[in-house]
Amino acid sequence: MLATVLTAQPVPPADKLSAPAIDYGAIMPVLIVLGAACVGVLVEAFLPKHQRWPVQVVLSLATLAGAGIAMAVYLGDESTPKNGVITLAGTLAVDRPALFLWGTLLVLTLGALLLIADRSVEPGGAFVAEAAIRPGTIQDRAQVAGTGMQTEVFPLTLFALGGMMVFTSANDLLTMFIALEVLSLPLYLMCGLARRRRLLSQEAAVKYFLLGAFASAFFLYGLALLYGYAGSVKLADISNAAAGTDRSDALLFGGLGLLVVGLLFKASVGPFHTWTPDVYQGAPTPITAFMAACTKVAAFGGMLRVLQVGFESTSWEWRGVLWGVAIVSMVIGAVLGLTQTDVKRMIAYSSIAHAGFLLIGSIALTDQGLSGTLFYLLTYGFTTLAAFGVISLVRNADGEATHLSQWAGLAKRSPVTAAVFTFILLALAGIPLTSGFVGKFVIFSAALQDGMAPLVVIALIASAVAAFFYLRVIVLMYFSEPAADGPSVTVPGAFTTASITLGVIATLVLGVLPAFALDWAGSGTFAFQ
Amino acid sequence: MSAVLAAAAAEVSTGEAIAFWVLGPVALAGALGMIFARNAVHSALWLVLTMLSLGVMYMVQQAPFLGFVQIIVYTGAVMMLFLFVLMLVGRDSSDSVVEVLRGQRLWATVLGIGIAGLIVGAVSRSLTDVPVENLQQQNAGGANVNNLGKSIFTEYLFPFELTSALLITAAMGAMVLGYLNRHEKGMKRTQKELVEARFRGEYERPSPLPGPGVFATANSVATPALLPDGSVAPESLSRLIDSTASETFSDEIKSVAGTEPGPDAHALTPSTKDTSTTDTKNTEDTEETR
Amino acid sequence: MTPTYYLLLSALLFSIGAVGVLVRRNAIVVFMCIELMLNAVNLTLVTFSRINGKLDGQVMAFFVMVVAAAEVVVGLAIIMSIFRTRRSASVDDSNLLKY
Repeated sequence: MLATVLTAQPVPPADKLSAPAIDYGAIMPVLIVLGAACVGVLVEAFLPKHQRWPVQVVLSLATLAGAGIAMAVYLGDESTPKNGVITLAGTLAVDRPALFLWGTLLVLTLGALLLIADRSVEPGGAFVAEAAIRPGTIQDRAQVAGTGMQTEVFPLTLFALGGMMVFTSANDLLTMFIALEVLSLPLYLMCGLARRRRLLSQEAAVKYFLLGAFASAFFLYGLALLYGYAGSVKLADISNAAAGTDRSDALLFGGLGLLVVGLLFKASVGPFHTWTPDVYQGAPTPITAFMAACTKVAAFGGMLRVLQVGFESTSWEWRGVLWGVAIVSMVIGAVLGLTQTDVKRMIAYSSIAHAGFLLIGSIALTDQGLSGTLFYLLTYGFTTLAAFGVISLVRNADGEATHLSQWAGLAKRSPVTAAVFTFILLALAGIPLTSGFVGKFVIFSAALQDGMAPLVVIALIASAVAAFFYLRVIVLMYFSEPAADGPSVTVPGAFTTASITLGVIATLVLGVLPAFALDWAGSGTFAFQ
Repeated sequence: MSAVLAAAAAEVSTGEAIAFWVLGPVALAGALGMIFARNAVHSALWLVLTMLSLGVMYMVQQAPFLGFVQIIVYTGAVMMLFLFVLMLVGRDSSDSVVEVLRGQRLWATVLGIGIAGLIVGAVSRSLTDVPVENLQQQNAGGANVNNLGKSIFTEYLFPFELTSALLITAAMGAMVLGYLNRHEKGMKRTQKELVEARFRGEYERPSPLPGPGVFATANSVATPALLPDGSVAPESLSRLIDSTASETFSDEIKSVAGTEPGPDAHALTPSTKDTSTTDTKNTEDTEETR
Repeated sequence: MTPTYYLLLSALLFSIGAVGVLVRRNAIVVFMCIELMLNAVNLTLVTFSRINGKLDGQVMAFFVMVVAAAEVVVGLAIIMSIFRTRRSASVDDSNLLKY
């Protein structure tokens, strides 16, 4: 056979390749973010160590601003089609939900980036100066006392952001898979870069990596089976193939099941949540904030697109299973959250419960379900961001004091911090006048309209149980005596203050005046092509 | 040849069937060997076997380029990287037999058989009477690579560009986690800094300790160095290795100190014989101490 | 024999890999099992490419290889960094994070 290949006539000059049409205006935000990440790598390579931090901070903030402006220009343009464009040979769909998610991701990354850049709360920042130094050695103690940090975190964050943006707008499963890896690899790395408690941090990185790679293998096998079913991995083609094909549906549902397992893992839903508490606790707090806010947005954005574009026509087959997953997720989050003694782990379990609520919105395959889920993602992201910002402030000599007993009587030490955290917890519990309430309201009403009343009842019970453990922390902060050797509350510098303020104000504004954001979230549906 | 293949479009040719029934069991054996081998290096080698047979299967299945890439990239690069790390980590890092979670193996196996049963059932039921299209047209005249390249640069342009972000991330990640700047403050000193510090008096002595065997006639680590007066230099004695007993050096000590009797008028080569005996003695000593 | 047999083989390899991930304790071997799963996926893609008569499956298998290579670099770097600290690559020894 080889001989045949070698002696074969030279291939006749094929007709010239025609490059796919690219709508540069539409994808400019993604290009800016990924391009700036590459510039950030060059900054690491060519600037001396002491100049890198200011340059990276300015570059990253400018990138986010630039991408935001590019998006605003595109949205403001009269010629922008209302129902989205599909560009780059059908691999990217820039439609209204994608633009909403891009905006959400950019703003949330801005908040997370401010936490990452902060050097006032922990002198030198939350990141290790040299990750290759072994923990526990003399050099390691020297670097805890020093002020350097691995500034590679900034380009890594931008790469992860670029991956998330592509993930939410990927129109075929292959692009989605690669975007999933682009967003995951930097997160795996950044999890292991904490300045203090480095063993915990490295352990979190290993766990996250192994489980993440396992889940992406499932995603990939699902992709392969769907390719076998539809002969293409474009979401629209899969949807069309479901209408009429000679292949058996076993491939379709096997593929969908494996694909969804991979997505649910990233979104830390239900029984696929096992990595979440460990990784949230072990990772450096700014990275936890970034992961909790942005990864959730990206994962649910991708899931919404897959379910609504690719599998809407077969929804009656798979919806029952996702009902079950949503229930399991809410119950696990609410019940195990009660038993936690660590604030970061508690917020992690709360995020699992919230993932259950989000899943309810995602399987309500209506326009209200879509806009409600998008709005919920926005509100949840801001609230979590602020929560982790506050958590990074309560410290003792060993770094962050995250054990719940250390938070006792915090209101007497620092009334402002306690008040802010109380507000955030109330928002997570979904009390009126906070964004959490509006978010739950829109999701539950969409689910009711789509005939999921039993699920809504279970969700209400779960949120009542979850409210209990938020209230427990509030009671602890206000009505216990502070321990004599308890932690102190660091007065944050400009960056962390700005980040927490951003989260809190957004939580308040979205709770009081949600109309504008709801309008934007409901301004269009996914492009189907 | 393409005519033959075209005739066999619906069914698989006998040659391919033979290849499958040889390579398939080999691939399965490799996979099973990997999860059952106790030693991690053996696991890696079993996996190489599976990957090689998969590579050949790709070639049989009208994907010649991918077959070569599989062999070059997976077995050549990825698995070698695995073996490198295993050697660095210590190749004897084998698994313990103790189950940490009780019944975990049993449940994992049950789960695995369940998954396998489900997928195999689904696939076999769904594809029994599906026509096989084959790829003669796309692969005609060795155009497989051309057509792959064409679709990478048109249809899959964006995913292709996106992989560059992955590769940059990977390179940077390896740098971040692996690179240690040893020449910074608080790190290991350079040779120049060390010499300066020594002469400034930060260390006990400006020079390194005398090595074994200096001014002596043997080069074993067990041989102490001799000072100009013939006495043993105490700094050259290793704390770990028993030194050669000093009596065996009496001749050399004499010769270094210049107190040895002058050569006998009848002797042609005075002290070679003695030296060689001490050498043997030294080697024996060292071996004993090991 | 039809090409479906390749799909069955790949399903078996995928399941063996998944069981290996759950059963083995050495982080590097767990990672090798994940690589086996990715290889099984590639076999599926190549076979479907042939059944469908389109080259897309081969292109996708190609992308999977690129992704796997990048993932291996990052993964082994992370595993090495924890190993340098712990002198152990067993996933059971990573047990600081428990509630």
